[in-house]
Order: sequence, then structure tokens, then C-alpha cells
Amino acid sequence: MIQVTEETKAEWQIVGVAGRADAEAADQLEAALRAAIAGHAQVAVDFSKLDYISSAGLRAVIQAARAAQTAGSKFLVCALSPNAKKVFDMSGLHHILQIQGELPC
Amino acid sequence: MLSMLEEVVLLAVDEKNGGLRSTREFGTAYALVGAVFFDLALAGKIDTDTESIHIIDFKPTGNATLDRVLAHMATRSDLKTVRGWIEEIFHHRDDLEGEALQSLIAQGILRHEKSKLLWIIDVERFPLVDNKPQQHVKLRLANTILNDEIPQTRDIMLVSIAEPCGLLGYILSESTLALRRQRIQMLCHLETISRQVMDAILELETTMRQAMTKVV
Repeated sequence: MIQVTEETKAEWQIVGVAGRADAEAADQLEAALRAAIAGHAQVAVDFSKLDYISSAGLRAVIQAARAAQTAGSKFLVCALSPNAKKVFDMSGLHHILQIQGELPC
Repeated sequence: MLSMLEEVVLLAVDEKNGGLRSTREFGTAYALVGAVFFDLALAGKIDTDTESIHIIDFKPTGNATLDRVLAHMATRSDLKTVRGWIEEIFHHRDDLEGEALQSLIAQGILRHEKSKLLWIIDVERFPLVDNKPQQHVKLRLANTILNDEIPQTRDIMLVSIAEPCGLLGYILSESTLALRRQRIQMLCHLETISRQVMDAILELETTMRQAMTKVV
């Protein structure tokens, strides 16, 4: 189960994701990220309140990032919680995603 | 759409003579088990994290191979880790390659030929009837390796299974693969299942080397 929030700051659309990004929530996560990308040129995902992410959750993030790349949008993964950071680090996702410690604004 | 298992087995078919190519026997067996888990993940039946496999949905997929593995998983609630499940299915894998070949024949992509070598040895070949599916898989694989773009989930999985099977050398030249080694390694590490398949293969190879040393 995840909770998704959205707010606009400066020129960025900030998508906050909290809870568990597992197979049950993966479609919701991908849809929310794709919708933000479709409507904004710069999207930052705030994962500071993400408790857990599974392979299905990671795939949702990767496919959203792919959609952003295709659309020519900026897509940042930001403020990873310790649990999420461990999973992202282990998967080497920094090679294909733009990951940073803090939100852009 | 072909299953991940079918795509990997199709890649192993030599387009010239229908022979099955594999350079790493045990590596291939592990990788085919990995392909089944990827198929189950794509079908929304299982999910994984850094350690565990979770069965989300026990309802059959309609694919006999996947459903057999899923049914087996339902009987072993004691097994929780990705590695444990790869080992378990590896030991109960029956003939994953044979089942995928039968399915590809039924779909009109391959045909089955039997002949004798030196009038004694049975030789089986699987010539392509329709070469488009194999070309399509090869093209996707090549593009995923050669581009620096973010790949499709299926293509990440495909690279991470084709690599331990030793199949990439039939698609791209050794020099190209050497140049793109970093990209291939990166793709192979993105998915928990492929990381665990790689670890299982490495451990198996180490065990075999140690056994050979003792024999010598």
C-alpha cells in the first residue's frame, strides 16, 4: 500500500511516495509517476517516506524513468529512505537513474 | 507473446542448422530456472526483494510450465529466499528446455528433426520455420546492450538470462561485447533474480573446481 502526494515547487512537480511499493502497489506507483511526467517537464520523486520497495516497485520506477526519457522530461529520484537506498544501491540503479540525496527545491 | 523461457531457448537455436547452442551447461540450467521466475514475476504471480520471494497469486497462468512451478511453490511455504527457490526449482526442473521447444514447435516457429550421426547416434535439430520471432528477440537484445537508454523491463530480464547462458556471443561480436561489458554487468545486476542466478552459477562453478582439484 502506498500513499502518493503531489505538489508543485518552483518548476518542479514533486511526487511524494510513502509506504510499501510492492507488487500490489506497483501499478498505482507507475501510473502516478507517468501521469506526473505527462503533465510536467521536471518531476522529482520524494522517497524519504518509502518503507519498502520490491522488484515490482523498482520496475515501476524504471519504467516511469524510461517514459520520462522518451518524453524528454527530467526525472529525479530523491531523498531515498535508508531501506530504499539499500535496495537501489544493491541494484546499481544509479547507473540508469538520476538519484540525489535531496529534493531539487 | 513468447514467454521469457521461450525467448531464451529460441535464442539458443542455431539459425543455420537448427542445432541447440549452449556454452555453459549448468549455467544454462540455472538461467532457465531464472527465466521461469521472471515469467512468474511478469505474470504478477510472485514478487521479490533483496532476500525473499513472495507468492502473490496462486491462480494458474494457463502456461503448463509456469503453473507446475507455481503449484510446487505452493507446497513449500518453508522456502522463503530467492536463492533457496532457485536451488529448489533447479533440482525439480524436469525439462524446461524441452517444454519450451515443444511450445515453439506448436506455435509454428520451429520444427523437430531427428537423424542419426554415423548411423548410431541420435541427433535432434530444431530448424526455424519462422525466423521473425528469433530476429525480433536478437534485435531487442542488441539494442538493449548497445544503447545507453533506460531499457524495457522484459529486455533487462532477457539480457540477464542470456548472459549466464553464454548466448550473447551469438548476437554480438566478442569485441563489441567487450566494449559493452560494463553495460551488460549493470543490466544483470538490476534484478534480484538474475543476481541470485549469477551467484548460484558462480558458487556451482567454484564447487566443481574444488571437486576437480580433489580428484586430481
